[in-house]
Amino acid sequence: MQALTNRAKPVDRKPMTFVERLYLWNIFKGMLITFKHIFKKKATINYPEQQRPFSPVFRGLHVLNRDEQGRERCTACGLCAVACPAEAITMEAAERKEGEENLYREEKYAAKYEINMLRCIFCGLCEEACPKDAIYLSETFAPANYQRKGLIYGKPDLLIPDPVTQPEEYKQALGNRANKQQQAN
Amino acid sequence: MPTIYIDNKPYEVKAGKNLLETCLTLGLDLPYFCWHPALGSVGACRQCAITLFKDKEDTQGRIVMSCMEPVKEGACISVSNATAKAFRGQVIEWLMTNHPHDCPVCDEGGCCHLQDMTVMTGHNYRRYQYKKRTYLNQYLGPLLNHEMNRCIQCYRCVRFYKDYAGGEDLNVFAAHHHVYFGREKDGILQSPFSGNLVEVCPTGVFTDKTLKQHYTRKWDLTAAPSVCQHCSLGCNTTAGERYGKIRSITNRYNGAVNGYFLCDRGRFGYEFVNDENRITQPLIRNRVPEAVDEQSLMDHLKLLLTQSRTLIGIGSSRASVESNFALRQLVGSENFYQGVSLDEAALGKLIASILQSGAVHTPSLKEMEQADAVLVLGEDIWNTAPIMALSVRQAVMNSAAANALQQTSIAGWHDAAVRELVQDNKGFLANAGLTASPLDDISTCTLHATPHDIAVMGFAIAHAIHPGLPEVPQLNNELAAKAAQIAKALQQAKRPLIISGPSCYNEAMIKAAFDIAGALNTGERKAMLSYVLPACNSMTLAMMQAPSFEKSIDRINDNTVVIILEQDLYRSIPPAKANAFFNRCKNLIVLDSLHNGTTEKAQVLIPAATMAEADGTLINNEGRAQRYYQVFVPTTGMVKESWKWFWQMRSLQTSSGNGLELHPNDWLTKLEKTLPQFNGISRVSYPPEFRIHGQAIPREPHRYSGRTAMLANLAVSEPKPLQDNDSPLSFTMEGYPNRPPASLIPFFWAPGWNSIQSVNKYQQETGGALSGGDPGIRLLEQKTGTPTAYFTDIPEALPAPRNKWLLLPAYHIFGSDELSAYSAAIRELCPEPYIGLSTQDTAELGITDGKNITLVAEGEEYTYPLKIQEHLCNGIVLLPAGLPGMPALTWGSWATIAPSLKNNAV
Repeated sequence: MQALTNRAKPVDRKPMTFVERLYLWNIFKGMLITFKHIFKKKATINYPEQQRPFSPVFRGLHVLNRDEQGRERCTACGLCAVACPAEAITMEAAERKEGEENLYREEKYAAKYEINMLRCIFCGLCEEACPKDAIYLSETFAPANYQRKGLIYGKPDLLIPDPVTQPEEYKQALGNRANKQQQAN
Repeated sequence: MPTIYIDNKPYEVKAGKNLLETCLTLGLDLPYFCWHPALGSVGACRQCAITLFKDKEDTQGRIVMSCMEPVKEGACISVSNATAKAFRGQVIEWLMTNHPHDCPVCDEGGCCHLQDMTVMTGHNYRRYQYKKRTYLNQYLGPLLNHEMNRCIQCYRCVRFYKDYAGGEDLNVFAAHHHVYFGREKDGILQSPFSGNLVEVCPTGVFTDKTLKQHYTRKWDLTAAPSVCQHCSLGCNTTAGERYGKIRSITNRYNGAVNGYFLCDRGRFGYEFVNDENRITQPLIRNRVPEAVDEQSLMDHLKLLLTQSRTLIGIGSSRASVESNFALRQLVGSENFYQGVSLDEAALGKLIASILQSGAVHTPSLKEMEQADAVLVLGEDIWNTAPIMALSVRQAVMNSAAANALQQTSIAGWHDAAVRELVQDNKGFLANAGLTASPLDDISTCTLHATPHDIAVMGFAIAHAIHPGLPEVPQLNNELAAKAAQIAKALQQAKRPLIISGPSCYNEAMIKAAFDIAGALNTGERKAMLSYVLPACNSMTLAMMQAPSFEKSIDRINDNTVVIILEQDLYRSIPPAKANAFFNRCKNLIVLDSLHNGTTEKAQVLIPAATMAEADGTLINNEGRAQRYYQVFVPTTGMVKESWKWFWQMRSLQTSSGNGLELHPNDWLTKLEKTLPQFNGISRVSYPPEFRIHGQAIPREPHRYSGRTAMLANLAVSEPKPLQDNDSPLSFTMEGYPNRPPASLIPFFWAPGWNSIQSVNKYQQETGGALSGGDPGIRLLEQKTGTPTAYFTDIPEALPAPRNKWLLLPAYHIFGSDELSAYSAAIRELCPEPYIGLSTQDTAELGITDGKNITLVAEGEEYTYPLKIQEHLCNGIVLLPAGLPGMPALTWGSWATIAPSLKNNAV
């Protein structure tokens, strides 16, 4: 059979000599490589005490955003769900009633908003589809869970803390995004 | 057929149409707003611009509105030409300057004609940066939401509401760029067709208020073809579900039945499916616990059904053909009854036998629109069959237009021009009823009389047309004059239409209607005869000739098992009679979907599926069998179609099979074999194994969202998708992606057409039949050569008993129907119970309006406030029929009236 490329090397099928069969030289060669690594820089870091810098386009856990007055931005329009290639988002819309203007930014809101994190592929298409800047992918990893059902995230898991009543937590949750926004401004 | 050239390609097209219709029929995408296939062209929105060339050499051309331009032989036009494209882009940019940026919160988003057309023209960036004009919205009642800021001034709403449906309280106000579509002041829209504004409006000005309570985008609905359950016309609907709840009902176009429109009862009356009062578990009474699982139910039923007891089955006029037939098979034909009073059963039987004789043609709603003279004999079609009233209105308008157009060369679709020409002229409509009806406004001849007088007038008309028929003795002058006038008009017509029905509980009236139609049927004149029936499947029971259950009372003893199918007997006979019946039933099995008086009496209560959870067939008043399909599988409880339960019971008796072997089609095949009058009914649907290219038809659109998340909170592991063994539809979004056959269209969608306007992609020609023919199998065709067996038994005028009134039902579009009244919005529109009397009778009795009076009928007393009915004839007392909480009365009996003593004292 003709080789497809000219890079193929013929295999040496000569039987090994007695010295070769002892493998001593090969063992020594391998140990040498291992020994050399002691003097090299470590490939790992001590997570979570140490953290690596994120790429500016990193896509982590979803956050449901609020506006500066602490009102939910999501209007449950369903565009994130329809954009989701994993079909992992579902929601139920509700009408804002009188007196709820301080809770919801617009006349509709998501009464129920759920993401199946087991299905999510963190593609960020939901963020791209959102016309209200209501969902974005943060720089937090989705934490592990002992049970699969713990990975169905509802509104309590996803909503960002209220910037008015919990400014500290809000800042923390915003993370690097706050800096990014400042830079943009 | 003329040939026209579109973008230099020749097309053979139909003459007499406009270019917009023609382009859409040819499958070309051309944006439009103000044009509607049912409403015609007015050229108001300037959106459908195309370039028209002088001849083949002309390269310049000129811009014309395609909806205003008739098809001409050899016409050269261009849809894709740059000038026309730029023009259309500009128009939509103007329209969009004031349109808010609120698609995310707008209910129309995702099924919006304006969105589709904007994308189609390519306008995607807004240059207008200034303040938009804003309006105050109005409260339009519990059915519709008003959001005027979204309006693009296409005028479709008022053209539908005023011109097409005859409503008077929606109008256009102000001028320039402040044009306002709404009511004079806040208030409930009065027309029972107002719900169609949701679909007629190209954007979100009018949206479904009941949908707002559980809003879901169109792309997220699991939908199936359904048939309306709320009157006997069988309008086609699309029912959409998400999370186990029916979310909305939209119109499913059927060119022969409902066309583009539904009435509000049909559109908003769906919430009984989601009601808290639903029966989801089988109950065996006097047991702890009463709710049982399927195995214990079956064990109990086995004891009941197999100990050689007599079974008595009471069929239901709101259950499917399959369920009724399965019950008939279970109990035996001699033990099968229907759950209506003796009178009602007799009237139904009479109507069915008239139509089955094949002597006259019973028309579809579409054919009714073509009638050139209409006589309504005693039936209040506005309230008992609203869409038929809409069709009659079109018949009146169309025949006036046809008369006017004889002198000119204007095409019929030139809506504004035709209206200008017609002015206030109307086609011939004679409306004879007990009291005033909104149809009186458009009728040439109106009669408010007792059922007897109406029937007698009917016979007089028949005699005037066909002198061989007996003459009515001692006819009073008014009736004689009216009869002569109507007879003359009917004789001049080419396609006269006679409508009657059982709502006056008068047999003679039904016979008179047939005599008139029979007499009119001559060689060149084809008369149409249509009867309205009380419920969505009354025709089936009438065709099965099931007797009234009142006849079964004597046969019931301790050893009989009575099975009642999906109905509340308290709605058909007075409570005392019903109680007497139930007292005899020691073993009572009831299958129903909602708790009611009858289910209270059941020893064994079995949860039956509603139209949303069942496959089934209904036969409408014209004898058209239509299949409705299961929309979703309920996740909780043990709700099953009644026919499945019956077959399971049958398998208990025969100890073979598990009761799941038969599909709806198998039932219909069996039915055809057993009862030949149903011949052809098995062709109503495709068999469950029907596939296109090996694929089932998906109930969900390809954009359906949340598939892996919707039920993840209940069970993370994704179970196998649900199987549908009874129909060719699948419960998922996977399947045949193109247009399914006409009877299997779960939702209307076409690339670029997300709104319901996409229906034009499913039609043979715009506004015509669906591709492959309109769904439904007609079982009652006219047979040529059938002799007309005239009725000659003219009723004699009996003097009314002294101080007695004839008790008759007053039907209300909202309230008289059992299931639709479960919707909160509809209940809000239900009238309060009342007793209606004529002005003269009230004066003689000396009672004032609004005071409580007591009516005594068949030994029962009913006390309600008096409502004076200005147009009601004397000697009749009207009570609203079937209102929630009101007992059934003995309609057609004589009642006495007394001012109420106990309540007036309060």
